[in-house]
Amino acid sequence: MLNSNHPDDERLSALAAADPDASADASLTAHVGGCERCADVVRELGFLRSALSDMPDVAPPRPLRLLPPVEADAVSGPDRLGLWARRLFAPALTAGAALAMVGVVGTALPGLGGMASSGGQDAFSDASEAAEAANVADDFDAEDAAGGTELEFSAPSGDAAGGGGEDGEATTLGADEAEEQRTAAEEAGRTDALQSERSPWPMVLFSGVALMIAAALLRWILVPRAG
Amino acid sequence: MPEASQATSRRTPPLPDEAAVIARAADGDRMAFTQLMEHYQSACYGLAWRLLGDPDQAADATQDAFVHAYRAIRSYRGGIFRSWLMRITANASYDILRRAQRRPASPLPDPDEGGVELPDISAASPLEEATRSDMYGHLEAALRLLPHDQRTAVVLCDVYGMDYNEVAAMTDSALGTVKSRIHRGRLRLRDMLAEHRELFIR
Repeated sequence: MLNSNHPDDERLSALAAADPDASADASLTAHVGGCERCADVVRELGFLRSALSDMPDVAPPRPLRLLPPVEADAVSGPDRLGLWARRLFAPALTAGAALAMVGVVGTALPGLGGMASSGGQDAFSDASEAAEAANVADDFDAEDAAGGTELEFSAPSGDAAGGGGEDGEATTLGADEAEEQRTAAEEAGRTDALQSERSPWPMVLFSGVALMIAAALLRWILVPRAG
Repeated sequence: MPEASQATSRRTPPLPDEAAVIARAADGDRMAFTQLMEHYQSACYGLAWRLLGDPDQAADATQDAFVHAYRAIRSYRGGIFRSWLMRITANASYDILRRAQRRPASPLPDPDEGGVELPDISAASPLEEATRSDMYGHLEAALRLLPHDQRTAVVLCDVYGMDYNEVAAMTDSALGTVKSRIHRGRLRLRDMLAEHRELFIR
């Protein structure tokens, strides 16, 4: 079929598609004008092109997801941070608000102050610290008393300060006084803790507010804004 | 280079209020975007299916194209929306094609040799629209029998009206290579369809 006189079929295809270089090729168009075989090829390729350009659309065999999920916006690194900021924002805000609320209620009702477990813990440790101090004072006083020295500097009560007579008496007095001081210290520790200014509630309130502010700030910084 | 398809009867026409819907979609209206994609999904799927030859891969490519379109619609600058979406779909399909080619485990069907017996295309499920006409049915089947580089070039250029330069850029090929593939593909289709010539001569 292929005759050395016929142009290459690819040239005929170019002519059928009206490619400028083929249309402008005078020897090509002249040949096709006088060659039935090549004219047929060009004509058929023209029909073929026309049919191809009119091929119908094809319905997908299954339903497609038309709208990408919102997460599709955030696939790159910084966007993922934003995504997390967006995800954590609501829970963090809620937790912060809850904490703040508890803090406000706790602060507003002073009766609750000493009942908090951490407050009780404080009172306990305060009391034992005081008791420890009293023990130290006890030893110290006894030694001093044994040495016959006056107890002025360590004795809070006038009674004890006056008792600097005989050795034995002084010892007894010192011990008694130390015992008294220890119970007094323990008592003082307990009341101190009950009225402690280190109540946990303002701290809770503060953390709640801080959490809310941090959540809002992170979201504002990390979540890309529209527009 | 090839003129825009003159007959649009078998292809999705533009939406009546398309410009307004596009503008709303570009403003972030997800409903408007959904409306656009729903309208053009058959056009996108058809292109992906013709390029890839596999319904599942074609569905994946179409959904990838929707994701790309969703990100890019803000930068859409007029022109025929269908053509814009077709370019995105062709790129998404070609990405999948490239990935498939890099994995030899799943080679694409490339029926380069053998008789040109037309398969029973009525058995292929996505072809319901095509089987309405013998001509389109035969054409579809013949396209599938082309070597895939020729098929890609013919589909992009003759079926979807992209010019040679676009096809060359999309397929990372030289312009001359693309032209040659298109010409050889067309001639091959003509040979395959020789016995059905009467359907094409109108």
